[in-house]
Amino acid sequence: MPSNRATVLVVEDEPEIRRFLRAALGVEGYRVVESATGRRGCIDAGTHKPDLAIVDLALPDLDGVDVIRRIREWSPMPIIVLSARTQERAKIEALDAGADDYVMKPFGVGELLARVRAALRHAVRPASGVPQLRFGGAIIDLEHRRATRAGEDVHLTPIEFRLLATLAKHAGMVVTHRELLTQVWGPTHAADTHYLRIYMKQLRDKLERDPVRPAHLVTETGVGYRLVADQ
Amino acid sequence: MRGRPQLVGYAWSIGAAAVATLAGIAMQPRFDVVNIAMVYLLAVVIVALRYTRGAAIAAAILSVATFDYLFVPPRGTFSVGDLQYLLTFAIMLAVALIVSRLVESVRRQAATQASLAIEAETERIRSALLASISHDLRTPLAVMAGASSSLAESGDRLDPAERQALAASIFRQVRDLSDQVAKVLQMTRLETGAMRIERDWTSLGEIVESVLARLRERLASHRVIVELPDDLPLVRIDATLVEQALGNLLENCAKHTPPDTVVRIRVQRRAGDVVVTVEDYAGGLSDADFARLFAKFHHGTAEGAGGGVGLGLAICRAIVRLHDGQAWAERIPGGGTAFRFTLPLEPAPAMPQEIG
Repeated sequence: MPSNRATVLVVEDEPEIRRFLRAALGVEGYRVVESATGRRGCIDAGTHKPDLAIVDLALPDLDGVDVIRRIREWSPMPIIVLSARTQERAKIEALDAGADDYVMKPFGVGELLARVRAALRHAVRPASGVPQLRFGGAIIDLEHRRATRAGEDVHLTPIEFRLLATLAKHAGMVVTHRELLTQVWGPTHAADTHYLRIYMKQLRDKLERDPVRPAHLVTETGVGYRLVADQ
Repeated sequence: MRGRPQLVGYAWSIGAAAVATLAGIAMQPRFDVVNIAMVYLLAVVIVALRYTRGAAIAAAILSVATFDYLFVPPRGTFSVGDLQYLLTFAIMLAVALIVSRLVESVRRQAATQASLAIEAETERIRSALLASISHDLRTPLAVMAGASSSLAESGDRLDPAERQALAASIFRQVRDLSDQVAKVLQMTRLETGAMRIERDWTSLGEIVESVLARLRERLASHRVIVELPDDLPLVRIDATLVEQALGNLLENCAKHTPPDTVVRIRVQRRAGDVVVTVEDYAGGLSDADFARLFAKFHHGTAEGAGGGVGLGLAICRAIVRLHDGQAWAERIPGGGTAFRFTLPLEPAPAMPQEIG
């Protein structure tokens, strides 16, 4: 029934988890390709050319992070990682290795499907060229470096614009601290997390309706930030 | 790991013999040779006390050799003129062996006692966790078994609304259960010292934001007030862990106060630290209930029934302690409970000024 039948590759060794993923993704109209091992997943990614991959981090043969690295060698396809709570480090490693987003096990399918949609949207319309960003009454013109909130001009510094632009490039998806710091301040500042804390607060104070409970410049504790923009 | 301390012991036996020799040379003009032997004996005893038996024997042999060569007539040779010096040698060796043997047995006893204590502690934690598991997990498991088997066996005869309600209830229970299991694992890791904390500069405002987002549903029926000073300094903490600590306090409020209760999250800066407070104005807690909660929070134990509560508070406390902070509970005059914890402040890191 859906016109746009995107193919989703699921690399997951647990058959019961593949079963409900198949059901949930199928109902949404996606074509599902399943791989039970990391090696198989790397091969299937090449032969089936999926539009998106869902990769479990704990695979029996290959590390999920290795699967991501191998896919990233030749493909920019969006990759969503399934991670357990005890895999904090591996999760961040996976994101830094090129995964676009993550879902923590156990998860509800609603959450996963929302991530899948955001990632596919991003892939179809790479946000690098998006000139305008809108969320919660704020409108930001990234090209001409102008911002308004509730119709009033807001002054943003060059770094604030750059930070916002980096988040906007991955709108709807998580961006790690390392990625943001590298993109905005350069690789020598990849560990200076305090820069981010201070600039994110400034951005929220200027752009969020309630900076204490931001709805759009969202913190992912221990991982990074996520920009939730209007669609 | 074992090789290095042993080498250190031998190095010390050489050092001790050398020091004794220097002392002996200094003493020689004014003291009897027997007293110089005493200095060597002291050197041997010190090495035997601190290092292995091998090192002690080495010290004894070295001491005997240098003593003999330098001080026992005829000097400058290893031959012994007087028979009584042979006795000196024998005593020196015997002292080295006896002292090192005594030290070894004391060390072994201490190690046995320490491992016994660890075993007892592990056993205590295990039984406390088991108690909390069996208490808190039974109901959700029963609900899930019942609801899912209804769906699997007679799903086609149930009307859609009923089916959906059963499925939703399974999902809810699973989420709670998985939280509970995560807490048990967390507590085990915290109490056995297997937890590594990764500190980084963190904004407590963001911690509050992310906790409130995570617990949105659970706190929906409560009235949450946030008080954050605008100029709050950054803290160097493990954000994931402190987020859990604060989350556990809020969950505790959500679980144990009636709907519409005002819950206030407050962060205050003090001279050397920040204080994070979760207050509720439920006022309904009896003295006995408060005493129980208080004890769990203060002693950090997960003992007793209703482990969910105890566990959450105990985890909070353990996390705060890992950060060199303090955690405590207070009654609020006029009715209510305040849970507080502190996090130490460190000098703020440098931040380049942007002209814009």
